[in-house]
Amino acid sequence: MLVKKTDVLVIGAGGAGIAAAVEAARGGASVIIVSKEPIGYGDTRISLGVMSTSPDPEIGDTEEQFVEDMIRGGEGLNDPALVRALVSDALEATAMFEGFGHIFGRDDEGRLARLIFPPGGHSASRAISSPGVGISMGHTMRAAAARASIDVLEETICSELLVRDGEVVGAVGLQVASGEPIAVLAKSSVIGAGGAGSLYYPHTDCMPSVVGDSYGLALNAGAELGDMEQVQFLPFGITHPPSMLGAPCGEPAMAGPLGKLMNSRGELVLENIMPMTRAQVARIIMEEIRRGGATERGGLLLDLRPNIEADGGELFVGLMKKMGGPFLDIIRRAYGEKAANLQEPWDVLPTVHYVMGGVKTDEWCRSHVPALYACGQAQGGVMGGNRLGSTSLTEIFVFGKRAGKTAALEAAQRNYADAPVAVEAVRRLEALFGAGGSERPVRLKRALQRLMWEKVGPLRDAASLEQAFREIAGIKEHAKDLRISGMKRYNCEALDAIELSHMLASAESIVVSALARTESRGAHVRSDFPERDDAHPIRNMVVRLKDGNCEVRPVEVHA
Amino acid sequence: MSVTVAIRRYNSETGGEPEWVNYTLPERDRMSVLEAFMHIYENVDPTLAFRFGCRFNKCGLCAVEVDGRPRMACFTEVKDGMKIAVLGRMPVIRDLVVDRAAFFTALRELQLYIPEQEDAGHTQIIKEPETHKKLLLCVECLACNSTCPNFEFKKNPFVGPYVFVKLAQLHFDPRNTIDRRRQAKDLGITACTQCRKCYCIHGINLHRDAIQILSA
Ligand SMILES: Cc1cc2nc3c(=O)[nH]c(=O)nc-3n(C[C@H](O)[C@H](O)[C@H](O)COP(=O)(O)OP(=O)(O)OC[C@H]3O[C@@H](n4cnc5c(N)ncnc54)[C@H](O)[C@@H]3O)c2cc1C
Ligand code: SF4
Ligand code: SF4
Ligand code: FES
Repeated sequence: MLVKKTDVLVIGAGGAGIAAAVEAARGGASVIIVSKEPIGYGDTRISLGVMSTSPDPEIGDTEEQFVEDMIRGGEGLNDPALVRALVSDALEATAMFEGFGHIFGRDDEGRLARLIFPPGGHSASRAISSPGVGISMGHTMRAAAARASIDVLEETICSELLVRDGEVVGAVGLQVASGEPIAVLAKSSVIGAGGAGSLYYPHTDCMPSVVGDSYGLALNAGAELGDMEQVQFLPFGITHPPSMLGAPCGEPAMAGPLGKLMNSRGELVLENIMPMTRAQVARIIMEEIRRGGATERGGLLLDLRPNIEADGGELFVGLMKKMGGPFLDIIRRAYGEKAANLQEPWDVLPTVHYVMGGVKTDEWCRSHVPALYACGQAQGGVMGGNRLGSTSLTEIFVFGKRAGKTAALEAAQRNYADAPVAVEAVRRLEALFGAGGSERPVRLKRALQRLMWEKVGPLRDAASLEQAFREIAGIKEHAKDLRISGMKRYNCEALDAIELSHMLASAESIVVSALARTESRGAHVRSDFPERDDAHPIRNMVVRLKDGNCEVRPVEVHA
Repeated sequence: MSVTVAIRRYNSETGGEPEWVNYTLPERDRMSVLEAFMHIYENVDPTLAFRFGCRFNKCGLCAVEVDGRPRMACFTEVKDGMKIAVLGRMPVIRDLVVDRAAFFTALRELQLYIPEQEDAGHTQIIKEPETHKKLLLCVECLACNSTCPNFEFKKNPFVGPYVFVKLAQLHFDPRNTIDRRRQAKDLGITACTQCRKCYCIHGINLHRDAIQILSA
């Protein structure tokens, strides 16, 4: 058994994980970072690179206003302490990431330049861009990891956290290239393994690596998750060809002031889309589809032509080309040149983009389990029921840094566990290779992903959720009987099997929370409870594992 | 109408010669090479190994060789008779998966980063050259290395167009303090024959923006 020891173990090497690892190393701790993909990938590297920095006093923006925007956007489900932490550290986080090597968009004098048009829901402009989009963040993250004195385990998937007497003492993972398990004994463990967008594959624009490992790992270690029902759907995604299903093609703002949504019969479904939230637009699209208004491709038609035909049409086209470039490239590829020139309507369907729910922590990223921390999309409570555009990149650096700092400080007060604590978990990994059951992990993954889209998608009700709950239980049973080839090196099936276990836990946590929230709030829309419940205090849905099953409990939000 | 493609299979654990295997694919609107891999893995042969990520030409993880040229599997349409193999000139773990580990080591050993900046709590005045922005669009797919006749992984994994792009990025970074031209020379850029065979599948102008700059 290969065993390593470290003060701080960081799981995940997107923006949150890298920030945590570098900060922990700066704090004098020994650090190991484990990443399923190469270092510095994850959703961070495919993002648009637009990040909220601190409020600009020159335009009258304040920290209070930023906090208010986020909580209004999140429909009150946010943990106010976390939101305040994000806003107060936003500039520090910006400076930290530039110190890693990044360069955000600048004006002619070389000063940080905020975008003219803030993303939806922001009352003032605080977003800055990355001229090299997410890819440039990838270069920065990899450089920062290379520069810091941290030990790197690339393409290693963490399968379980190790728990002794209720405290996390490290983790076990599989090195995919060699097929060898590895155990890491750690005094502090940080989860920064991202969200769960690909729990809805192919209806997602997220990396396939983010399937809910963060949540599965945390639940199984005894941690609590909050508001897992809050899954963000970007309203506009591509419907065809199949290879492009789920690709993102826009925010509500992309519709412009005059864009219209039409159904297959050419009837108007929605106009004045621009000021609406992602959740509101996604909901209306799904309701119309349920009424039978979908095109043969399965979406609705987003028609931007009225923007061009109106006065100042060229201005709109110019702006679209400037701001919407990455989206237009996707449109061109899927729907052709005319569509990319806005002369033909686009077939659109919501696509999963982000999970607002996540591991419950305090503002220093401590979970309820001793020695376990969480940051980035893994963490919950920051965004409430709806994330405003550009705030996640702030979140990952602010809380990554905080998690690294706390984990390093507190590691000094703890001791290592003994290696035998890892024996069972390592054995479970070894047993995957050549497993002789009858179910292929990838088939079960696909069945679960289909189920999540069909029954736990942008529109849910008690019947669909209860059916999902039963079917998840069924897949769980099948998952005890896996068939996996015995090949050691780069065995995709072993990887799938580990992901499947995390996916099942995450899916169940989403379903039980969605069942318990008998109202429509934020991104969670119940067709059997279409209104927001303003008669009662606002509550978070808190999930933990009890006897292997998710148990949910509503807790009033404290201001 | 169904199509048949040939995929080169190999396992570094057992060694031996790579083997071309034919696969017949179902009909699908504009099927991509990545979809073909997924179809085969899910329905035909569970042992097929391949790497991918974003599906939409953004991450660079899916680069393979199609009919002898590097391509992103996710953005390449399948055609009857296509021959698909792992990127050339690279160490192979299995099937379509190259060993990328050395390229992180390169970042560390060649100090492919800017020096640690003083943490002043606020941002600096920075003027970013346009060429820097262009070079940052490299998705680190490693395809360029696979097309350079001079690139020999076993001899020196650090001397190839990919590392030249990284060095050029840093050369244009206003905060860089290391002489990256000197470094390129020490690494052996002088052995580059300027043959321009290195090819970027993501639109980086390797010759103008990296090799010429560093050779100057
Ligand atoms: C297309 C797209 C565009 C976006 N654009 C923006 C934007 O412009 N602005 C904005 O604010 N937000 C944006 N977002 C959201 C934002 O990018 C993400 O929320 C954020 O980057 C998440 O960072 P993270 O570090 O928490 O996770 P990720 O960057 O997703 O990193 C997760 C890491 O964990 C690793 N991992 C996963 N499971 C395991 C495991 N079991 N063991 C080991 N490692 C594991 C992965 O390999 C990866 O390294 C966008 C998202 C998408 C999908
Ligand atoms: S120009 Fe230089 S780097 Fe490019 S292929 Fe020729 S030898 Fe290789
Ligand atoms: S320069 Fe081009 S081909 Fe080479 S790694 Fe970068 S993106 Fe790939
Ligand atoms: S899968 Fe990301 S570029 Fe092809």
